[in-house]
Amino acid sequence: MTTEPTAVIHDIGYRHYDGVRLGRGRAVLALGVQSLRGVFGLGRTVRAKIMPLLLAAIMLMPTVVSIGVMALAKQYMLPYPNYAVLMQAVIAIFLAAQSPYLVAPDLRFRVLPLYLSRPLTVTDYVLAKLAALAVALFGLLAVPLTIEYVGELLVDLPGPPHTADYLGALGGAVLYAVLLSSVGIALASFTPRRGLGVASVIAFYMFTAAVSGIFAGVLTASGHDDLAGWALLINPFFLVDYAQSALFGTAPVNIETNPPGVASVLILLAVVALAVTGVLLRYRKAAS
Amino acid sequence: MTASATPCFATEGLTKRFPRVTALDDLTVAAGTGVTGLVGANGAGKSTLIKILLGLLPPTSGRAWVLGLDTATQGLEIRRAVGYMPEHDCLPPDMSATEFVVHMAQMSGLPRTAARERAADTLRHVGLDEERYRPMGGYSTGMRQRVKLAQALVHDPKLVFLDEPTNGLDPQGRDDMLALIRRIGTEFGISVLVTSHLLGELERVCDHVIVIDGGRLLRSSAIREFTRAEQTIAVEVDEGWQLLAERLTAGGETVAVQGRLLMVQVPPDDPGRTHDAVRDAVCDLGLSLLRLEQRRGRIEDVFKEPVA
Repeated sequence: MTTEPTAVIHDIGYRHYDGVRLGRGRAVLALGVQSLRGVFGLGRTVRAKIMPLLLAAIMLMPTVVSIGVMALAKQYMLPYPNYAVLMQAVIAIFLAAQSPYLVAPDLRFRVLPLYLSRPLTVTDYVLAKLAALAVALFGLLAVPLTIEYVGELLVDLPGPPHTADYLGALGGAVLYAVLLSSVGIALASFTPRRGLGVASVIAFYMFTAAVSGIFAGVLTASGHDDLAGWALLINPFFLVDYAQSALFGTAPVNIETNPPGVASVLILLAVVALAVTGVLLRYRKAAS
Repeated sequence: MTASATPCFATEGLTKRFPRVTALDDLTVAAGTGVTGLVGANGAGKSTLIKILLGLLPPTSGRAWVLGLDTATQGLEIRRAVGYMPEHDCLPPDMSATEFVVHMAQMSGLPRTAARERAADTLRHVGLDEERYRPMGGYSTGMRQRVKLAQALVHDPKLVFLDEPTNGLDPQGRDDMLALIRRIGTEFGISVLVTSHLLGELERVCDHVIVIDGGRLLRSSAIREFTRAEQTIAVEVDEGWQLLAERLTAGGETVAVQGRLLMVQVPPDDPGRTHDAVRDAVCDLGLSLLRLEQRRGRIEDVFKEPVA
């Protein structure tokens, strides 16, 4: 038997790529998916995973309690449409912690020019980032709501299941996702520093919550109950709660005040339009 | 080759004015395939030209084409077919080179599996080995430049724009980068537009050089013309250089005086004649020769000579 060489090393040199080249839409989708994974810390360091996963876990706690109460006391304790208002601090922290991650590093480390040197436009980039955050926020709300609803069906409470409430709350979750993501990205994109972004988003939430609470309290105490509802609209969570009530017929959290109805939907749309326009203008400027 | 048929890029009366400065001033230039150098001092308008060619910045007036595509209307098609390595840092420190280059390949429209293969290939070609799995925050300047180059090549473009790729590199890293650029232009078959403010280094890798200054075209020609047509020998003698100059001129040589140096033009058709003439003249006049050296025409000379 002769010993012939069985393996040969070839220097194959540079090979050209002649495979598929997907369209711009698929590139935007890839950017959105990568951003969405990053929001929950997937594909990032362990440290980056702690915060979002911890907050997501906290979001599930009322669900667990509610299912327990439904199973043991046979009582519908936590209405679905009120879930977001109840958990607003947790959602606000999630928004503050994660929206700067989506936009600040690309500005700070100047990755943005690389994106723009590819077949993507500024608008594509902004929409991918907004969509990623909106989907994350929707999931943050929809998952506990759905678990609670499945729990309700399994527990089999007396009377019909609260399907309309559940669906209304899911509709509300869409509104929360759209409003909060556009506001979060708008605030975070004005600074390339992530820490400042976190601070500005959380400050925005605390400021609006405090102002709306104070105004509503003063107005109620002075007998202007009809105006107190308008003051509550300053808080983005109550704004969406009223809009959810107007659009999907759910009961608002603040039943004692006059719900501003359709006006809340219009204000919500105006705020989203303003925030998205702000982001687009900011990025047009950053791109040139 | 279709070099002359479809130029890699061409501009026509391209002007870009910013509120305070005019970055490009009526620039009309074209370059074919191969490696093209774009030379100019800092602020000469090199980066502005690249941004316009990428279709990212609208010119104030004039037009530009890349691979036959109009930058004003076909920016997306251009950016699909070209790669861009910016001058500035552009790497997120918490990502590894592999993740980053895969991601950038996807942004150019490659499916994920293909993006992975191309990223591995490209990183190997630019010479990044095991380090490519580590976060880029800990990379040296040389490694960072390689990753920046890899992301520009990962989607196999027809043309790459490299903005100051040797910036910040030590002499060894500079040589490696230049060799790599030469390989991209020849072996990889990807046309290159490379900018630099260091003229000497482009001589070694370019087929064609464009010199701009203050947004204006100083010169655009093949590298051979830069170097061949301007061969001279410098002669320095202790005393009596006037005599030598007269003698050489009388003998039919073209002599220019630069201080104590005599610059004698060497005709490309008969280089030996001039050398012999200088030797004989120095001998016959009994002068003491201090210096006799070959001066290759350098791109720097373009800046010294007034523009014709």
